Amino acid sequence: MPTMEEYAKQPVTDRLKRLERAPDELAAAIRGQSAAVLAKRPDAKNWAGVEVICHLRDAEESFGGRFQMFLAMEDVKLLPIDTDRIAVDRQYLRCDAGEAIEAFRARRAESLETFRTLTPEQWKRGGTHPQRGRMTFDDFLSLMCWHDDNHLDQLRRAIAGQA
Amino acid sequence: MPFAYYARLTRAQQAVYRKSDSITDVRLPRPADLHPLVGALDTALRTEDRVDTQRASDRLIRGLTDALAIPSVKVEVLAARPHAKWGELHGLYTAERGKTPKIQLWMRTAKQKRVVAFRTYMRTLLHEVGHHIDYVLLRLPDSFHTEGFYKRESSLFYQLVPEATRPEAQSAVRPVDEWAAFPVAERLERLERTPTELARLMRGQSDAALSRRPAPEAWSAKEVMCHARDAEEHLGGWMALILFNDDPVLVEAGTVARWAVDRQYARQHAGAAWDAFGRRRDETLALLRALTPKQWEESGRHARMGRVSIDRLLSLMAWHDDNHLDQLRRALKGDWGS
Repeated sequence: MPTMEEYAKQPVTDRLKRLERAPDELAAAIRGQSAAVLAKRPDAKNWAGVEVICHLRDAEESFGGRFQMFLAMEDVKLLPIDTDRIAVDRQYLRCDAGEAIEAFRARRAESLETFRTLTPEQWKRGGTHPQRGRMTFDDFLSLMCWHDDNHLDQLRRAIAGQA
Repeated sequence: MPFAYYARLTRAQQAVYRKSDSITDVRLPRPADLHPLVGALDTALRTEDRVDTQRASDRLIRGLTDALAIPSVKVEVLAARPHAKWGELHGLYTAERGKTPKIQLWMRTAKQKRVVAFRTYMRTLLHEVGHHIDYVLLRLPDSFHTEGFYKRESSLFYQLVPEATRPEAQSAVRPVDEWAAFPVAERLERLERTPTELARLMRGQSDAALSRRPAPEAWSAKEVMCHARDAEEHLGGWMALILFNDDPVLVEAGTVARWAVDRQYARQHAGAAWDAFGRRRDETLALLRALTPKQWEESGRHARMGRVSIDRLLSLMAWHDDNHLDQLRRALKGDWGS
């Protein structure tokens, strides 16, 4: 699995293709799996399959919000997001995984549209991430590639009952 | 449910509070007789002339005291509202022994010096008249801001401004601009009461009742509850963004209707959503109570609402609570209304 830094060395078009594949990869990963399997956590700490998918869906919305700010402001200071709390608050375990993938697919299409319409100047715009420091659109594209890989892997492990 | 400060009152004061709370209406014998005076006040306020506004305010208040057969009160209209850490002063009622009671009203906002909206001004005027009524008509030894007090104020308002009359089902919803006229402490109390009010509405309701939509396009009580939870997180995020950034852009990543579908509100548990909302609400209140006067005025930019300060967000949240409590109540009744 490439790291974020390794992704950063890849051309934009390759990274966009990686993002484009993710909804179908998620759908393939859960095909034939029962709701019970998708809602089963591999251990007390780690997310179940459906929680991973809902996280990707909500993260995509959050990326979209941040992109709007990058385009409208100079160097916004981004706020930390407590993803574990959100998973509980928004009751990910009660969600339908297939529906969550479709919501993710729609959000992902919007993210791709944003990336594809950026001017060279806009690619350099960004904000300050609470843990990672200054990040541009280009950095976020690499982050999202790695994020997809990471959570697809986590999803496959959760379905297999592995933390 | 009394406001939080009730617990800090003496027993005698609590008795006065309860009496005030139990009276929810002040009936005018012939309210239509006063409508021309209300119209004249609206016109005077539009001229932005202080003397004209004072004259019109004085006539209306005299009309009210005459109609209720109570002693008159002196009226003074002033320009820009005084302001300090506690917010802006909109009006003031003072009654000193041996002197005619006095109502002071400020017709311009503290910072922008803009003339306040007619409805806001009327609300303030009736609020101060309400204190006078408490002492001289209801014979209360003290005039507390109770729910009954605000209902009496509203009852006068809707008799005098009949075009503002709304269906009974919506009568609890106070618009954002009206909330903005309330002191911070009272808006915070509105926010503080909401979890209890939501719990009271949903208690004993089955999941089927909570999940039932009153109309195909209208949210069920459960969906309203999930929306309140997510809105609390979202608006709390805006407040934090304003505090961490200089003049940030406040964005919405999609619509609330999309949240309801994407996040699958219909599959969720209303009680768990209420619990999450309550925790977020506690955090919002803690954040707001720790703000410095300067931080209350910090703002961000919103595409539709323009400049939005944290103070404005508090008013927005107070209205939002009113609105969705009303919506949840109607959803449970199966009443979608207009």
